[in-house]
Amino acid sequence: MFNKNTVAAGVAAFASVALAAGCAVADGNKADDVDITAMSAEELAEHLIFETGSWRDQEMQEGGGWRDRMTQDEIQKACSFDSTRNDLDGEVAGRVVALAREQYQAPEGDIELGDWRKGAELADSGYGYRIGHNVDDHGTREAGGNCYNCHVMDSSVSVQGTIGPNLENYGAQRGDSQEIRQYVHQVISNPHQYFPCTQMPRFQGLLTEEQISHIMAYLLDPESPVNNR
Amino acid sequence: MFKKALLALPVAMAVGVAGTAAQAEWQDPNDVLQKLLEAQPDSKYLHQSEMNIMMMPDNPALYLLDDGEELFYKERGPNNASLESCDFGKGEGVLEGAYVELPRYFEDTGKVMDFEMRLVHCMKEIQGFTSDDSAVSQRHGSGSDIMRLTTYIAHQSSGYAWNPPLDHPKEQAMRDAGEVLFFRRGGAMDFNCAACHGDSGKQIRASVLPEMRNSQEWTKAVSWPAHRAGQDNVRSQNHRIRGCIWQMRHAGILPDTPVNTALISYWNDAARGEPAILPDLKR
Ligand code: HEC
Ligand code: HEC
Repeated sequence: MFNKNTVAAGVAAFASVALAAGCAVADGNKADDVDITAMSAEELAEHLIFETGSWRDQEMQEGGGWRDRMTQDEIQKACSFDSTRNDLDGEVAGRVVALAREQYQAPEGDIELGDWRKGAELADSGYGYRIGHNVDDHGTREAGGNCYNCHVMDSSVSVQGTIGPNLENYGAQRGDSQEIRQYVHQVISNPHQYFPCTQMPRFQGLLTEEQISHIMAYLLDPESPVNNR
Repeated sequence: MFKKALLALPVAMAVGVAGTAAQAEWQDPNDVLQKLLEAQPDSKYLHQSEMNIMMMPDNPALYLLDDGEELFYKERGPNNASLESCDFGKGEGVLEGAYVELPRYFEDTGKVMDFEMRLVHCMKEIQGFTSDDSAVSQRHGSGSDIMRLTTYIAHQSSGYAWNPPLDHPKEQAMRDAGEVLFFRRGGAMDFNCAACHGDSGKQIRASVLPEMRNSQEWTKAVSWPAHRAGQDNVRSQNHRIRGCIWQMRHAGILPDTPVNTALISYWNDAARGEPAILPDLKR
């Protein structure tokens, strides 16, 4: 801390000298008109994202523009650290769990499972919400769950990811009670309720309830290949 | 910051003793790769594709070198000028070791620029191209001028250790902002870069992912230009960033913008001291 401050002070002094000497030539780029060395790293990161024209002007699939996409909500802010290594701070963990519970919308009544065949397709599909040079068109193809990117669910059908735990025989090991269904619905919808700052996305809002019910069937239905591995 | 610099020093020295790294001397890209493979026999990332390792001496990216050299020295554009007066940071026309010392601060523009930004700057300022000319508007693909030039220029730094300068306060500021961006969660699926590049040996489908803290994995990770076998094209660092940000469901990143520069400042710094493989061959 101490050293950082002394370095920063030296930096600021140097920068003003450089400016006075006329070294900094503006390039018609707004970013050049501000002194980036006067900002903290966090401030500069926000500045780069929001004030330097770094994004295409496009309508996002969920509505809104790039600014909405890139604006962080409370959970994203709280989890913007190296969550794979650093031990999660207890206070942050508690706050993230509370935020996630607040955001989560529980289904009314008993939870029904959908069709595991549709669930298998959705778990495999990485389509949806990609934007920029190549835009996913939700009008022609529904968004998928990307589950195979991170989880092994049925290793006989394709090579699957290992960012998350192996889910083969998930239902076979846990059964298919309402309690289990509630838990799985909570995890898929908003996993931060159980795993604060997890790498897993919050699918409530990205997938429809019907899509989630198909994916849940894929995980829990005794007929599903996931449970016959 | 200070603590980190102190830690980095003994690490660099230890690596030097192990014999893989830091040289200010050109090495053939395949030789660089072979030494990294020997140094890290257990790295799943480095050893993931036997096919690519075998192909490395005949890396299709090498075919771009002659065209790139010709483009560099040819008098082109409305100003009928070659790129020999372009300064990539080590003086006009000096290419040896220049690529691994980017991004850096340039006095003539007053900002920190990454390689592609600087190349485009020179093509516009020296040769007179405009953004609409295909010479600068076409950024991707082995057939583009930019990728041919990039491959030729980067090749002149093969085997040199990554060494992006941090002496200028703006260089340090951009590197530090890049670190924040690497860990910043956002977009439709809450991803940051570390979600996929924070743990070693993890896989997204068939791709084994490089871990950022393993600098010998990371030097290969950031060694672009590289021929991507799966896409049958030579790709750049900027193309990789665009691809990962697209997968992350953040917004669509534009070329020549400082979010690119900050991320590259951070990721080249994370490979500091390790030799660059230029050009590389990837899956
Ligand atoms: C970016 C990677 C990623 C994606 C995509 C992803 N997950 Fe996960 N998932 C994880 C991680 C990591 C965990 C472990 C929680 C933790 O410790 O952070 C997890 C945990 C889970 C669990 C809880 C396992 C348990 O212990 O009970 C379930 C169930 C699950 N995921 C299902 C899914 C489904 C279904 C999908 C697709 C709709 C999905 N995941 C998509 C990364 C991912
Ligand atoms: C959702 C997962 C994911 C996220 C998040 C992600 N990447 Fe990647 N990244 C990948 C995959 C997959 C590859 C390998 C591509 C392949 O092999 O086809 C990759 C490749 C790379 C590589 C080159 C290594 C190689 O062998 O191809 C670099 C460097 C990289 N990513 C940097 C980043 C940065 C910087 C960010 C944040 C802006 C980021 N990644 C975010 C999945 C991700």
